[in-house]
Amino acid sequence: MTHDDHSRPRSDIGRARDGIDGFSRRDMLRAGLLGGGALFAAAPLLAGCGSGGSGGGSGGSGGGPVSKPKRGGTLRIGMTSGGSEDTLDALVWATNIDGLRVFQLYNSLTALDKNAQPQLSLAQEMTPNKDATEWTVRLRSGITFHDGKPLTADDVIFTYQLVSNPKAPLTGAVLLSPVDVAGIRKLDSLTLRIPCHTPYASFYEAQACYQFFIVPVGYDKTKPVGTGPFKYESFTPAQQSTFVRNENYWQAGLPYLDRVVITDYADETSQINGLASGQLDLIGALTGDSIPAVQGAGGSVLVENGAAFAPFTMRMDQAPFNDIRVRQALRLVVDREQMRQLVFGGHGLIGNDLFALFDPDYDHSLPQRTADIDQARHLLKQAGHDKLSLNLVTADLGAGSIKAAQVFAQQASAAGVQVNLQQIPVSTLYGPNYLKWTFAQDIWTYYPYLPNAQEALIKGAVFNECHVDNPAYTKLFNEANATVDEAKRRELIHQMQTLEYQAEASGYIVPYFVPSIDGFTKRVHGLTPSKTSNPIGGFDLTNVWLD
Amino acid sequence: MPGPLARLVGTRLALGSVTLAVVSALVFWATEVLPGNAAYAVLGHNASPAEVRSLEIQLHLNRGIIDQYGSWAGGLLTGHLGTSLADGVSVWSLVEPRLVNSAVLAVVSGLIGSVLAVLLGVAAAARKDSRLDDGMSGVALAITALPEFVVAIALVILLSTVIWHLFPGVSVLTPGTYPWDAPSLLVLPVASLVIIIVPYIFRMTRAAMIEALESEYCEMARLKGVPRRRLLLWHALPNALPPIVQVIALTFLYLAGGIVIVENAFAYPGIGQGLVNAVSARDIPVIQVIVLSLAAFYVVVNIVADVIVLLLSPHRRVAR
Repeated sequence: MTHDDHSRPRSDIGRARDGIDGFSRRDMLRAGLLGGGALFAAAPLLAGCGSGGSGGGSGGSGGGPVSKPKRGGTLRIGMTSGGSEDTLDALVWATNIDGLRVFQLYNSLTALDKNAQPQLSLAQEMTPNKDATEWTVRLRSGITFHDGKPLTADDVIFTYQLVSNPKAPLTGAVLLSPVDVAGIRKLDSLTLRIPCHTPYASFYEAQACYQFFIVPVGYDKTKPVGTGPFKYESFTPAQQSTFVRNENYWQAGLPYLDRVVITDYADETSQINGLASGQLDLIGALTGDSIPAVQGAGGSVLVENGAAFAPFTMRMDQAPFNDIRVRQALRLVVDREQMRQLVFGGHGLIGNDLFALFDPDYDHSLPQRTADIDQARHLLKQAGHDKLSLNLVTADLGAGSIKAAQVFAQQASAAGVQVNLQQIPVSTLYGPNYLKWTFAQDIWTYYPYLPNAQEALIKGAVFNECHVDNPAYTKLFNEANATVDEAKRRELIHQMQTLEYQAEASGYIVPYFVPSIDGFTKRVHGLTPSKTSNPIGGFDLTNVWLD
Repeated sequence: MPGPLARLVGTRLALGSVTLAVVSALVFWATEVLPGNAAYAVLGHNASPAEVRSLEIQLHLNRGIIDQYGSWAGGLLTGHLGTSLADGVSVWSLVEPRLVNSAVLAVVSGLIGSVLAVLLGVAAAARKDSRLDDGMSGVALAITALPEFVVAIALVILLSTVIWHLFPGVSVLTPGTYPWDAPSLLVLPVASLVIIIVPYIFRMTRAAMIEALESEYCEMARLKGVPRRRLLLWHALPNALPPIVQVIALTFLYLAGGIVIVENAFAYPGIGQGLVNAVSARDIPVIQVIVLSLAAFYVVVNIVADVIVLLLSPHRRVAR
């Protein structure tokens, strides 16, 4: 069965089952994910896990024999990326540690499974009309929020109104902009009719993009209530948060743990010390350099090769990148395998200057680009740059960004391009000049193709950091979103990706995808890897259990 | 209390207040110079520009810097420290536990370190040029060359994670609890700080004691047959104290800032970590309170040290 068949049916029971079984949470938005994800696959336990696919476990060196999961216990997790801006808010969260917390509390209509495929979650059925201008959504029945209130269509409407509030739009407002929120009608307590201003065939995928966790009417973020596997117990920003088992969780029998304690750690060294001295059971978002330390401390490591992408971004409206030959040449100077070796010690997947690697519509027929210094020199010469000197703005975004910048500078010098690294603090890179740098780096969490394009490559898109303005590409995008037929839509998306691949409609260099590395003690079982690159198995603790 | 002393304290306090006012203005200005603001920091880079604008308005960041400073200073004078821009809770509720945690760590380390260092210094001076003295001086010199984090990491490897598993390798306090609720968490941070500060006080003590012991009145005491212990502790030490007090005061000042690295190494929820978090969140009210607390601590320790030194040195007290 092709991925496509599998991944877009928006209704039918089989799909619903996939949703349940393969359910995982993906996380954060484009936030600063340091390595992402793979949980270790200590035990592909339970028939439950493997829906969409290979079950993933490229993982763990640890993990004992498969045995029956045990209920109970407190899992202690240490994560970096937190600070005084830590939040439990379902709709405004930004970092790895926020993602880990939020995924325990809330669910969305659809969610990316461990294979990064969108699956039904709170929705039991989502069906577009013929031209994708209207969606019918039916919610699963019998789901309750942590306070006992049943989940209804009103909660979905409330959530969308919060997100799209014109006075205070939230992160998800962009992906919700094609939806006519004011026009949503409730057909019955569990069914909604959702009209769209413009065709929105990718509404289903967009709901899995971590920005639409459903909150109850009257949601108060200081007393957070959701439908997720764990309930809020306590929260101290920059320090610690605790959660207890949701005994009414809608996936029967799950989760296994009684309690989860998530503690903010300032850096990897203290994370590893916490694990080694028995104060923590599980740590996430590590770099490859920490693998020996975790193993030396008797812990296990899970490396998973997800598809979060960390591009170099070239502004297509500014010299020298307004010349397509320069963009093409810079893509050709990259020796991707060498960069992967140097930056991630051989972990991670190679990129082909495209994102959404696991989207069923990703065009795998485009040849893998490899280093071609002669061709790069030739293109640069044609473009009138016998010598080219560039400033690359870099920052420690996690995921080896600075190392990657250094390797890039080295590789580019072979083609006579001098790359000067301008290292700035992360908060500066993402400060008021974000999206305005001429040549910089960024990092994105995994999204399905169309939502990612909608945020990155369409003229006027909110994160159009390369300043792409390609009418042909935008036209294809609009057509794809108006096309419900899967085969036709795939054809359109392949055309879009060809334009990106040729650097016509993209200023990205995507040399690699970011792997995710977690460490854990032998007590921990049931972590399974996620292809989203989100750490802690895509932030999914539902199947995790302790000895 | 003699008049000159009171006058000195009064002058110092007045100057200290001016210093604090200047510091608060500088902090405001410096925070403004940093790129980004609390809205960017809170929302992260997944936020759309519209979302950032909206939060800036909620947080009143769209007003001018002078205006913001004015309302902050006005609040301070009426006893309001304000609310955190990052999460809306009162600044004091954020800062107070961290101040307490850091104060406990600094005071415990400072006291243990000072007593230990003075004893070692006296012992070394008493056996000047012996093998013991040479050994201690050599070790002290070597430790002085070690950065804080090296000491911390070495202790963790030795006593927590690799060789022996005696103490926790990280000192993460459960929110709502204080260090005295879990004293074992303090062991390694305190040990690190003690190891770091002892050499300085030790060397100063040793030098001051040797000078005192070589003075004429000690010579005379020795000739009179004063017992050795009494000579050391009763005749020499009091006269060696002024420079020792000054170096101890300097050590406490160092602890107020240098503690940051040790706190960081052990993930200890102290003022240093709080300041780092506040700066990265551009949380001006929190930055202000922490920096002003540290600055006030500097002012007070300096005054206290000067007063003690004056009290210990009658000739200086009257020489004026």
